[in-house]
Amino acid sequence: MTTLTRQDLNFGQVVADILCEFLEVAIHLILYVREVYPSGIFQKRKKYNVPVQMSCHPELNQYIQDTLYCVKPLIEKNDAEKVAVVIMDKEHHPVERFVFEISQPPLLSISSDTLLSHVEQLLRAFILKISVCDAVLNNNPPGCSFTVLVHTRDAATRNMEKVQVIKDFPWIVADEQEVHMQEPRLIPLKTMTSDIVKMQLYVEERAQKT
Amino acid sequence: MDELYLDNIDEYVNDQDKIVTYKWLSLTLGVHVNTAKQMLFHYLDHKRKESSAQLNATYLVSGKFVDNGQTCHKVSVVKEDKLEDFKSKMSLIVSVHVYSVQKALLKDSGPLYSVDYDAVKDNMKNCSRYSAIRCASAVPVCSPELQQTREIQQSPTPEPENKKPGMNGEANLASKPSTKPQRGIMGMFANKSAPKNQDGGKDVKPEQKEDAPVVDLHKGKPDVKANPMTNFFGSQAAKKVVKTVEEAAQSSFSAERQRQTSPPEEKPAAAVELPKDTKKDSRSKTKRLVDSDSEEEKMDKKKRRRIKKPEPDSSDEDVIPDSPQRMETREPSWSPKKKVESVSHSHQGNSEMKTRKRRRVLKSRTFLDDEGCIVTEKGYESESYSEAEDDVQAAKRAPRNPVAAKLSSSTKPDEKRSHKKTSANANKGTKQASIMGFFQKK
Repeated sequence: MTTLTRQDLNFGQVVADILCEFLEVAIHLILYVREVYPSGIFQKRKKYNVPVQMSCHPELNQYIQDTLYCVKPLIEKNDAEKVAVVIMDKEHHPVERFVFEISQPPLLSISSDTLLSHVEQLLRAFILKISVCDAVLNNNPPGCSFTVLVHTRDAATRNMEKVQVIKDFPWIVADEQEVHMQEPRLIPLKTMTSDIVKMQLYVEERAQKT
Repeated sequence: MDELYLDNIDEYVNDQDKIVTYKWLSLTLGVHVNTAKQMLFHYLDHKRKESSAQLNATYLVSGKFVDNGQTCHKVSVVKEDKLEDFKSKMSLIVSVHVYSVQKALLKDSGPLYSVDYDAVKDNMKNCSRYSAIRCASAVPVCSPELQQTREIQQSPTPEPENKKPGMNGEANLASKPSTKPQRGIMGMFANKSAPKNQDGGKDVKPEQKEDAPVVDLHKGKPDVKANPMTNFFGSQAAKKVVKTVEEAAQSSFSAERQRQTSPPEEKPAAAVELPKDTKKDSRSKTKRLVDSDSEEEKMDKKKRRRIKKPEPDSSDEDVIPDSPQRMETREPSWSPKKKVESVSHSHQGNSEMKTRKRRRVLKSRTFLDDEGCIVTEKGYESESYSEAEDDVQAAKRAPRNPVAAKLSSSTKPDEKRSHKKTSANANKGTKQASIMGFFQKK
């Protein structure tokens, strides 16, 4: 059994890689399930040994990848508290918010050889839950768009500014309009606990979407 | 069938928002797949009649399909709303049954696979336990048996090689009649592994009086043989007789031989090595015993030699042909050490069974110096050993001091290790022995 600290950046990077990979798949799947984009741009791909829907559109893919590239340093240092995929209507008011709350234990302990396969199993359950979430959610109005919000701890955004300069991908502090949701309804979807990360996914839905 | 399954399915579908496939249901509830299909059908029918909740279902349709003049057998999973349309296109419908029931309207079939993935993975070895597809000739090969036969084939070849150096080393030292029959046994051991087991059993049998019938029955069964050995040692703990100790030494010696030769007999060796380690590889164990210089081995060696001494020469503690000085060392503390060894034998029944190996042992040599004082020096010498450690430690603890100091220091550890009565005897014994030793040297 190995116990590593946060200073062991290699392991922190591994965890950040795993989470960012998962978030990329989850964002694509949310866009597919919630019909933010027409289903024609999606194709079936394999992740965690199960079929998932990923977009083929290059600009959409690039946007999602750049977003997560900037989020990754925050996850490495455990500064990212929440990553939210917000679906907004035409007036840029949020109608739905898929919130991934992420927390990592300060002492990462690898307790078993099957840790990664166990984590894969848990992430697979998340994917499955997103696939069937439309059973508990109301339909969205047409013409929706999406954005990604990151809630950070303390003043971690200063670190992000360095990454922005490199990547030329500006992050701005979110408007109140984009953050505040009227009459939100909370629907928990899935929770996972493992040695390397704790995550829970819930959906905040506006009571009246149309 | 009882109605409980309806509640179960209702809980899965409505409360947990799961996709319930017939395969997942059969693995979860432990029922045949056809039973699971019927359960899902009844549940769907029941819920549709109640019209309480919005449920979606998928169906599996299999039958003959004519495509561009070619007839093929087609198996498809279709959504409920497309079922009738699909059925009309089939030329012959062989089977239609419910595939899954869920609350969500599935956009594609990906989640259906994901649902079954973990359930099948958890039941990988018997995922077809409830399946309707059977093949009598499809029997999996028993892999543990394969591995065992492979291990048995591999392990006998290195063991005879390792045993031979040990035999040679101990043959040099062995000048006692007790070792001769054991050497003969060793010769028998060197030939084959299977006969070794039997020979070892026979050899052990006359020596292990208590366990003779048990050992006889347990020929060729190493695991069971381990128990008689450990029982033997456990019973030895109750007896504090020198002869019994001697028998134990002899039997442990032969048992060691036996263990070295027979690869499956790992447990007796493990029981012996309990104070040190619990290595299961007898080959590595013998190597380690050869190379190690631990106090336990010293004690084993000293103890063994001391046991043999009383018979040929009661006055001398240890008769070692290559080290007469050591005899003098032994004499002063012969009797207490014997008692210590018997007590220690009781305490460390496990450590009796040692292989006879040569090792470097810290020995104390007592001699008369210029001033007329008896001085004890410690030095490393190679000796054969096979006994427990206490005796070696009692000898080892002798410092570079006059006799009195030596006696006191040697008795202190004795007191720590042995009972109070024994330690009192040890004190008296050491004092008398030292006086005798003083006179003899002059």
